[in-house]
Formats: sequence, structure tokens, C-alpha cells
Amino acid sequence: MDTVTTTVTKETSNQAPQFVIKYASSAVELWYGFISFIETIPGGQIIINYIKASHKNDPWRTLLELLLALLAIRYFLASKYSQDESEKVKLSKREVDELIDDWEPEPIVPAVRQEERWLFDAIPAIEGAITKHVNVVEPKSKEIIYDVLNMAGRDFLDMNTNELVKSSAIKTITECGVGACGPANFYGTQDVHVRASEDLARFLGAEKGIVYGQDFCTATSVLPCFLKRGDIAIVDDGVSLSLQKAVMISRCSIEWFHHNDMDHLESILESLQEELQDGPLNRRFIVTEGLFENFGDSPDLARLVEIKNKYKFRLALDESYSIGTLGPNGRGLPEAYGIPRTEIEMTIGTLANSFGSSGGFCVGCDAMIYHQILSSNAYVFSAYIPPYCASATSAVINLLEASEKPGEINPLVKPLQENIALMSSLFRNSSKLADLVSVRSSDASAVMHIRINPALRKSLDLPEGYGGPGSQIVKAVKNGHETDYFDREYNTECYILQLIIDQLLNSKVLLTRSKRILHHEVLPCVPELIIYLNSGFTKSEIQSSFIAIEDAIYQNLSTLTYKSFDQISDSLEFS
Amino acid sequence: MREIYTPNTVPNAPEENLTAEEKEDLEFGKLTSTDHLYVAKYNQNEPLPTPILDEPPYYIVIFTYLNYLILIIIGHIKDFFGKRFMPQCFDAVMPKNGYPPWYSAFESFYPRRLKKRLDDCFARPIHGVPGRYVRCFTRFSNDYNQTFHYDGGLTPLLNLSSYNYLGFAQSMGVCTRDAIEVVEKYGTSSGGPRNVIGNTDLHRDTEKVVAEFVGKDDALVFSMGYGTNAHLFTSLANSKCLLISDSLNHGSIRFGIRLAGAAVKVFSHNDMDALEKILRESISQGQSKTHRPWKKIFVCVEGLYSMEGNLCNLPKLVELRDKYKFYLFVDEAHSIGALGEHGRGVCDYFGIPPSRIDILMGTFTKSFGAAGGYVAANQDIINRLRLDISTQCYGESQPPPVLKQIATSLRIIRGDLNGNEGKERLGRIAFNSRYLRLGLKRLGFIVYGADDSPVIPLLLYAPAKMPAFSRMMYEQGVAVVVVGYPATELISSRVRFCISASLTKEDIDKILRVVDVIGDKLYLKFSSGIAGGEVHPGDYKKGIVPRWNIEDVLAKTPEDCKGTMY
Repeated sequence: MDTVTTTVTKETSNQAPQFVIKYASSAVELWYGFISFIETIPGGQIIINYIKASHKNDPWRTLLELLLALLAIRYFLASKYSQDESEKVKLSKREVDELIDDWEPEPIVPAVRQEERWLFDAIPAIEGAITKHVNVVEPKSKEIIYDVLNMAGRDFLDMNTNELVKSSAIKTITECGVGACGPANFYGTQDVHVRASEDLARFLGAEKGIVYGQDFCTATSVLPCFLKRGDIAIVDDGVSLSLQKAVMISRCSIEWFHHNDMDHLESILESLQEELQDGPLNRRFIVTEGLFENFGDSPDLARLVEIKNKYKFRLALDESYSIGTLGPNGRGLPEAYGIPRTEIEMTIGTLANSFGSSGGFCVGCDAMIYHQILSSNAYVFSAYIPPYCASATSAVINLLEASEKPGEINPLVKPLQENIALMSSLFRNSSKLADLVSVRSSDASAVMHIRINPALRKSLDLPEGYGGPGSQIVKAVKNGHETDYFDREYNTECYILQLIIDQLLNSKVLLTRSKRILHHEVLPCVPELIIYLNSGFTKSEIQSSFIAIEDAIYQNLSTLTYKSFDQISDSLEFS
Repeated sequence: MREIYTPNTVPNAPEENLTAEEKEDLEFGKLTSTDHLYVAKYNQNEPLPTPILDEPPYYIVIFTYLNYLILIIIGHIKDFFGKRFMPQCFDAVMPKNGYPPWYSAFESFYPRRLKKRLDDCFARPIHGVPGRYVRCFTRFSNDYNQTFHYDGGLTPLLNLSSYNYLGFAQSMGVCTRDAIEVVEKYGTSSGGPRNVIGNTDLHRDTEKVVAEFVGKDDALVFSMGYGTNAHLFTSLANSKCLLISDSLNHGSIRFGIRLAGAAVKVFSHNDMDALEKILRESISQGQSKTHRPWKKIFVCVEGLYSMEGNLCNLPKLVELRDKYKFYLFVDEAHSIGALGEHGRGVCDYFGIPPSRIDILMGTFTKSFGAAGGYVAANQDIINRLRLDISTQCYGESQPPPVLKQIATSLRIIRGDLNGNEGKERLGRIAFNSRYLRLGLKRLGFIVYGADDSPVIPLLLYAPAKMPAFSRMMYEQGVAVVVVGYPATELISSRVRFCISASLTKEDIDKILRVVDVIGDKLYLKFSSGIAGGEVHPGDYKKGIVPRWNIEDVLAKTPEDCKGTMY
């Protein structure tokens, strides 16, 4: 009886384990199959031995490694943006639809304010060619004022209507048509393009040159080729907008030195020294301009070159305004200082000013130019400049070189430099203007920058500069408040300068003013009257225009008081 | 009398004594039959012509990767030994006197080790009009493309490489005559930025013509197409705005977006569902972290993608725009002039009023034989942009001859000048594009893009086939552009045919014959038929691949390509 019960219990108790054993045995079979499969793989035996050994020594380690493997798998399977996912609010489809219904975007651009309307009329409408004399449409009456002296154009050497330049452009158009019809790397390069870059390099004394389609795009495309994350740029804090954007888009680390202050530059370099010597050999640049777009002055190049050589920095120099205007042959700031171009590692410039054409360029050593051919955005992703622009540039350079005489000032540049000297001496010696305006530019600058006298500005309670770090505009930009991209005082000060310009139009003189857009600029700016000089002006034209300018400035600024300034602001608002 | 020039110096063009007829024939072929015209217009009753991508066989993909692997390994071996035994060849990438190199060896590995091998296929210097024929300076290299030697001669090649969709790259005819007149009257330069001085009657006139042409209130013109996009977005968006960009948008849009500092999201190329998903999520979630609503959302697409030949899905985009209230930016760099019944771009092609697109941007390089770009929009938008785009105040304005070329060519397209010439040009490019595309499909090539697109990319895959194809075509007298990584995905190297109205049907016949032979030699015919080219409709489903012989293609395709279903 006993035995029977025991066998029964044995049988019943064995029933379940047998079921388990069946599965366990198949699992074991699978496991051995897996192991033997791994063994057949070359090197599989080694792995198994390794796992066996490690398990024997430290069984916990197997568990730990298993966990690690699971973690790794989870990591790879997880969404790339898992961090964002956790931040997201869970919403039902209906809620999403309601939110979409509810969302109202701001207008695509802020509407033009009443106070800004005058800016449209302030864009001079020209009829016909832009030469040293232009025909301007009077904004109110729409009547054409003929033969206005053009002191607003950047064609410093009066090359735009030079017959030789024109005929060379026409020759190219009759051979090659107008457009280049392709990027430089894809059948867009004509022989005249190659000639132009060779001519530029030869004229400026560099190894090689490269031509771009637009001046404003050149710096923003060239500098980011050589400045990447981890590289360093030490930048003058008065550089033009395109250089500001160029260094900022390149994601390198940026240090700003005080405008033209070589001591400050050196102190920055000195303070960086330790860090630089220990760190990797990154690319280091000093970025400045030959003749500043915003001030009309130049850095002390001799000192600059000495400093950059001492600290082994490279110099990137924007010579958009200095080429053609500075130096006995118009070769720019280095020629004025007697420094060879090879000392300036990278020169950026424009073909649209002194070269009477359109486009931008960069010259420097072979390796630098070669790198741009493949990695400079504006060169790779864009059609090449029209061939006739290239041949016009070559024609201007050939003209300049042909009239060059050793030891003398180039006769094509000389009248310009004389005009500059004359105009700036007239301004410096004017007692009538002494308390009203101050000339910010240097005496050699072809672009005269005239500001309202600092004392007068102070009495009007105007800030030292508009925009720039910490200003209302910068805050508005940061917070995306586009309707606040407006500074009442800046607008009024610009308008007062425009009144001078408008008045001068009746005296047949066309000036301009700095048309800087505050919310694009990173650095502070002050409104200025700007006079562009031209080699084509005669002495008497300069003298008579100065009298008119003096008069207009006097009439508009001498009566200016804090109260009248405010009234002008109000009148703009409610006109 | 050909003298051998010093290496690396492109010679001046030789003196020419072509007659006017010869020159005209080189620039713009005469239409041989009115049968070779077509009107490119999307039939609204049909489903959207979404191009179907054909996949290459697996062995081609593997072979392509292997190709790159070998190239990369050999490159590294060369670098390793070269730096040790021939340091003089590595000057540019080695630090010198305490100065870092201009570019690192790693950064320049691709151009030095891969692209250098096919440098002879790029930047071939030319002389003269890149019209129906482009004339390249004959050159050769003895040292694997380190230096090129020129013999001073020119080789005329049938031109499938230039952006000359409507054939306005000409040195004769009314456009050129006008441009020359303008040089005489206005000179070569515009003297400064638009808002300072460079605002002549020509600028105002051209803007008016452009605005009318694209169907907007007003337009702004700029001297460079790339620069138009590069500095546009900073005036539209700020850090509290969202820009949603197609993954294959052009470099200039990407640069402009980066410069704007706005938040960016990318949707995969032409994937409208992905776009909608991003839109729903972005609007409902708002800005990251703060969850405040976005101030503005822009969707940036191109009308015609220059590497794929695809059109944007405009009907769907404007539908989404109505629903989600975003602002739509369409870059018509390649489509303006080249697409639509009247050549007015994608809006014209799809029959969608331009008012349903907020900002239309385009360039003048491609269809008008000029240079530069435009932005067109409603009056209040342009008013603000006129004061606000940085190029307007800081950069040079359009030079006069270019403006005149634009205005005159636009008037021809509109039919105001030269009677039917504009219509003929539009008809020719539409026919040429469809003919070559269908011909290539029937021969068995994998071709990307929409039926009416004048950009026809033919897939080569293996990198070694790029220079081979380009050189063989050169030998047969056809100029083509080959593109590979990084402009395309690593494996999808391609040759890009840019069709022009200046080509005749007989030119396309010749091209098809040449490509047919080279395609066999290089083993390029591996299409499955999914993207078209079947002998009988439904062949693909039966597993029959399209491999027509060249004579049948030439005989039947000119008529068949006009059909709606091919």
C-alpha cells in the first residue's frame, strides 16, 4: 500500500518536472547548438574560452557585462532626439488640432513705420549712367535734376565710363555673351576669368588670385574656409558688416580688439600666449581692414605686421576701399607703408569700387587659393561672374600698370589723392563747421566720414553710439521682437543728415550718409554724412561743392537744439 | 601655328574667323521641325508626377562601396609614405615655421586623394558663348592632374553642361545688342550699393518686369544668385522663428538659414508627410524648452532641385500652407524660365496662383543668360525688405548690362519682342527635356527627376565611372558635368545633363547614340523599368526590363515623349 502510494505520488510529482525537462532539454540543445555555431566561426573558440575563464574567476562580471550589453543595445535603438522627447508635452490629436487652429504667426516682416517712410525717398533714383555726374530724380516733384556732382559713388578712379574699359567689356560680350552660365568648376571659367585673377595677383603682388560674384559675399565665404571651430580670430571692433558676419558664421573663437589700437591687440595676443603654446596648432588670424568702411581710417600696418609675425598669426586684410585709393599706384595700404604684399597672408577686396566692374576677389598664396576652389561656398555653389566683368577688371589693371612710373605717383591715382587732400583740408580749415561736425576719416581716405560734433551730440543728449552690445536693439534681436528693431533717436539723427543731403541736391551735389541697419550690426554705429571722392572731379568742382556742403550743414545743424531735435522726431511720427 | 604654353597657364583664345552663320549655329541651333516642340504643363486631372526612384542592383552598391574603400586605403597609404619620403609634396598640409597649414591633411583628404584624380573633368576653361556648343581649351596632364598643359587650341563640344535652359547664352541677337548699347550708355559698373547710389532707371525697370513676370507686386534684384539667398533670411527670421528646410536645399539657402540664427528643422527630400509631421509637432510644442509659440514658421523649398531634377510638390505645399499658416519660400533658381507654359516657373507649371506663395526667389543665371537673383513678394513685404536686406545697403548692386540682358530676355519670353521666339524657346526646351529623358530610360539607364525637368541626372554609382564617363563623352564631342560626393550621397555619383533650348532634335539623337555606346562599355544600363521606359505598359510587373535598341529609340521616342503616359 505504502509502495503504491509512493509510486503514485512519485508519478504525479514527476509529471510537471518532465514537462519542464522537455523544454529545458530543448533549451540546452539550442544553447549547445549556439555554442558550437560560435565555435565554427573563426576565433569563436577564443571568445568562448575568454567568457568561460572570466566567468570562473568572477561570476558577477558576467552579469555586469550582460547588463552593459543590454544598455548598449538600448542606447543604439533609442531615438536620436530622446532628450527633446522627454521635454515634449503629451497632447492628443484633438489638442494638437486646436493648438494649430489657435496659432497666429507674426507678420512675415514688420510693417514699415510711419517714421521710416522717408527712407524710401532717401534712396536716390538715378536716370542714366552712374559717373562723376549723374541725373537724379527729385523724390517729391519727380523732376530730373541734371548733372549733379556724384559724391556718393564708389567708382574712385572714374573707370566706369572709361572708353578702353567699355570697349574691352563690349569685346567680351560680343565673344562670350553676358552671363557665365555655370559655376567656375563646371565650364563657367572663361579665359578672361583666368586673366583677371592673374592680373589681380600680379597687380597686387600676390602669388594667386580668385574672383567672386559679389563683393558682399566674398568675406563671408573666404574666411569660413580657413576658420573652423577651434581656430582663433582676433578682430578689430570696427570692421564692416561682411567681416563681422564672416567671423561669426565661421564658429571660431573670436576676440575683439579696440579699433586700430595695436597696444590692445598686443595685450590680447600676450594674454593668449600661454594657452596657444600648450594647445594644438590651430589656425590664427588677425582680421582688419585697409581702409575702414565704417570710419575711413587705417591701421598702423607696420606695427600690425610686426605683431602678427611675432605671435605667428596670419593677417586677413579687407582692402575694399584702400585698393585704388591708397599708395602711389593704388595698390592699397601695404604700398602706402612700403610693405610687400607677401606679408599680408590674405587680401580680400571688391571689383565694384576702384576696378569699375562688379564682383569680389581674394589674393594670397597658392595653397590658400587652391583650397577656396573646392571649399568656398560662394565659389562652389554659384555661377561665376559674367565674363565681361572680368575683362573690365583686367582693362582697369592694365591701364593702371601702363601709366605707372617708378618714383612717381600714378597719374590715374594722383588726381584722386589730390582731391582727397583738398577736400579734407577744406573741412579741417573751416571755422564755420568746427563746432558742428567732425571729420572721422583720415586725411588720406577717399571716403570722408563726417559726424555731428561730439559736443553737439552730447548737448542733444544723443548716445555715443547706437546698437551694439547691451543696447535695446540687440535685446530686441535676441528676443525676436521685430517691431522693436527701431531706434527713434537713430532714425531722427539720420533724418537730419538726410535733410542736408536733400538740400544739397538743389545745389547739384549728391552726397550720401552711412546707411547701416542697426539690427544687423553687431557693433555700435554713429550716423555719418559720407562723401566719396572721385579722380574725375576738378578742383573748382570740389571747391564749389564744399561751399554748398558747408552751407547746408551750417543751415541744418547750427539751429539744432534738444527741443528742435524732439520736434523733428515728432514730425516724422505724425506726418 | 600652335605653340606649347607653359604649364597651368590658360592661353588666350586664338584669333577666330567664323562667319556670322557659323557662329550662330554654334550658339543656337535652328529648329528643324515644328514637331519638336512641346508645352510643359501639369495636367491637373492626373495624380502628381512624383518621380519614382529606381534602385541599382545590390552588386552595384557593394561594388561602389568597395571602390571608395580601395580609394581611401590607397590614399592613406600614399599619405603615410609620401609624408615621410616626399615631404616637399605635402607643404600645404604641414605646419611650417610655427604656422599651421592652411588646411589640414584630413580636411583636404577628399580633394587631394579622390578629386585630384578626376580634376581634368572639372573647371575646363572655355572660350566663347557656352551655347549649343561650348569650346574648351585643349589640355593634357603628364603628372596625374597636378599641372595641365595647354596647346592653345579649342575643342568644340556639344553642350549639356551649362545652365542655359532657354538658350539666351548668345553673342548675337537682340539681347546682346541691347546689353552692348547699355555698356556704351551706362558703363560697366553700378557704382555702389543700391540704397546709396546704384539705383538707376534700369534697376527700377527690370524689377518691374520681373515682378510682372512672376506675378507678384514688386521685386528686388541682386547681383549674385547665391548672395540673394545668403543674406535674405537674416531679414526674415530671428532666433524665435523656425525654418523648415528640405534636406536637398541648395547651399546658399543653408548658408542663409545659418546666418539668420533661427531654429532649423529638416525634412527628408520632398516628403510631404514628414513635413506635416514636423509642422504639427512644432506648432503644438512651440519653441524648445520654453514651449512658447514660434513667432513665425517658414518652409523653404526649391522649385526644381538641381541635383535630382525633381520638382517640389507645390499643390500639397500650398494646401499645407493654408492649413498650418506657415510662410512659404520657393527658390526658383532652376525653374524660372525653364518650366511652365509661359516659362514662369513652378506656379505656372502647376497652375497655382503666385499669391499662394509668400516669397518667390530665383536667379537670372540659368534661363536668361545673365547673372544675379531676385526676390519677389507682395508690396508691403518688398517695402520692408528694400530697407532691410543687408545687400541692399552694403553690397554692390546689379551692373547695367546684366540688367538689360534680363529685361530683354524676359520681354522675349513674354512675347513682347521678336514675336514667337519666346514661345519657340519654351517649346524646344520642353521637347528636348522629355525626348532625352525618355530616350535614356528606354536605353536602360537609371534617370532621376520629373518628366518635364530640364535637369536630367543619370546615375553612375561607382566613383571611377565619373571620370570615365566624362572623358569618353569628351572624346565623342559632348561636354557633361559629373557630380559625386559631397554634392550627392556617397554612392549616388551621377552625370547631370542640363538641357537647353539651343539644342536641336538631331543633337539629342547624337547624344543618345553616344550615351548608348558608352553606357554599354561602362556597364550603366541596369534600370528595372519601375521609373518608365517600358516597351509595353505593364512590362515592369512581368519583370521585363527596358532595353531598347538605339534605332527603335530614335525612331519612336520623339513622338512618344509627347504622350502623357510613357
